[in-house]
Amino acid sequence: MSRADDVYVVGCGMHPFGRDESVTGMDMAERAVREALADAGVAWEDIGYAAGGSDVSGKPDTLVGRLGLTGVPFVNVQNGCATGASTVLTVANALRAGEASLGLAVGFDKHERGAFHVSAARYGLGDWYAETGMMLTTQFFALKTQRYLHDHGIPERALATVAERAFRNGSQHPLAWRRKPLTEQEILDSPVVSPPLTQYMFCSPGQGAAALVLARGDRAFDLCERPVRLASVAFRTRRFGSFEVFAPWLPPGPHRSPSTDAAEAAFRAAGVRPTDVQVAQLQDTDSGSELIHLAETGLCGHGEQEDLLVAGDTDPTGRIPVNTDGGCLAGGEPVGASGLRQFHEVVRQLQGRAPGAQVPGCPRVGFTHVYGAPGISACSVLTV
Amino acid sequence: MRTTRLIDESLFDSVDPPRLAGARCSRCGTVVFPRQASCPRCPAGLMSAHALPVRGRIWSWTLQAFPPKPPYRPPAGGYQPYHVGYVDLGEVLVEARLAVPRAEIWIGLPVRLTTLPAYHDEDGTEVLTFAFRPDGEAGR
Repeated sequence: MSRADDVYVVGCGMHPFGRDESVTGMDMAERAVREALADAGVAWEDIGYAAGGSDVSGKPDTLVGRLGLTGVPFVNVQNGCATGASTVLTVANALRAGEASLGLAVGFDKHERGAFHVSAARYGLGDWYAETGMMLTTQFFALKTQRYLHDHGIPERALATVAERAFRNGSQHPLAWRRKPLTEQEILDSPVVSPPLTQYMFCSPGQGAAALVLARGDRAFDLCERPVRLASVAFRTRRFGSFEVFAPWLPPGPHRSPSTDAAEAAFRAAGVRPTDVQVAQLQDTDSGSELIHLAETGLCGHGEQEDLLVAGDTDPTGRIPVNTDGGCLAGGEPVGASGLRQFHEVVRQLQGRAPGAQVPGCPRVGFTHVYGAPGISACSVLTV
Repeated sequence: MRTTRLIDESLFDSVDPPRLAGARCSRCGTVVFPRQASCPRCPAGLMSAHALPVRGRIWSWTLQAFPPKPPYRPPAGGYQPYHVGYVDLGEVLVEARLAVPRAEIWIGLPVRLTTLPAYHDEDGTEVLTFAFRPDGEAGR
């Protein structure tokens, strides 16, 4: 059944997301790692390869000072919203290459309140772009969503339906930040940030950490009762013609997203179709992004989202449950941790031990998707 | 005496009337803004200066409803909510401030290039940036 060069998730851990001034990013990362190790029933000394990611909360490899100075190779990655997926990809490739039989991926972050700070120079742009008030990620999400709703005839109410489901799922999840359900009307009536998006349709920068223990196929089934196979993970940067954040100009279109490229590659490598997915995680920095990502990843057709949402098809009990833990909307967005939060949730769902709402009927195929600046996406397929 | 300056001269091909300075690839025809020396589509292409069309239509729009953090610089009277969007100029879509009232804004609205005061330097110099306003001459 299992092949030695297959990679499985055999343990996962997560520090609650949200705001807690008493802990640092590193504190949270340490707790997530220790939980993942305990979940897999292994010790830090057993880990032969590690990768970690954080956007603003320190060098991940310094965690060895807390976990144990074993000499383990520890790669730091910093890939924006794809950081978590990059750590998984790095560790999985090392295991497949025979570097080690057990590996660890960890992601963490702790951000300041409010919108992310930006630097025009860091994105290769002139100072004018930020000085004139155009360098805000919230504007990009609003502009992309506005055009998408226009092109596909989707009403703004669908954006509230997405957020309503996110907060409902978050309210049932012990590790989520936003735990209070909100009605569609409350979401529509919250202060406008950038139309068509309101305050409760956006996630907030927050804090959190998550970690996974990965094992080669020849070890996985000895360590774990129900290991989850990493059937594929694919990372893509943007190609010409994509519509990205911080873009002073765009080509006339059509605009193809790196999410589409990454999803297609992940499905192809895993040998499954989007219709096979029984539990999914989609980057939901805002309601519009999730709505668009549903179609960009192939989970539905462009313009089909409203019907899907209204029918409850994306609820935990629906045909294609999305963001069963409440996603970024309910969890907040600690950039380095969110990607691994997605893995944590999907792994636990496939193992039948979701911390929050469990998808009924023993789902066997899971999917994760992240998307971020300046046009990167990573997708994975997980199976049991 | 009150003086004005452009926020970044490299963005403008001319000032009165304003034209934006883009660049066009000699090989694939891709038009970019601001100017850049290499083509993002065909790495072998040569880019040459290319003044952008001044008239187009709103392709997408939104409102900046909260004051941005620095390095945003508010105008003399302080931050007021403002519209931004992409304007379809045919050969390229350009992101810009939109000097269009909310009641008039819609995807497809004909607009034309203008300038507006972004902020003032400490010595009182008015700093102009580019923007698009409703194009009264365009047929509805």
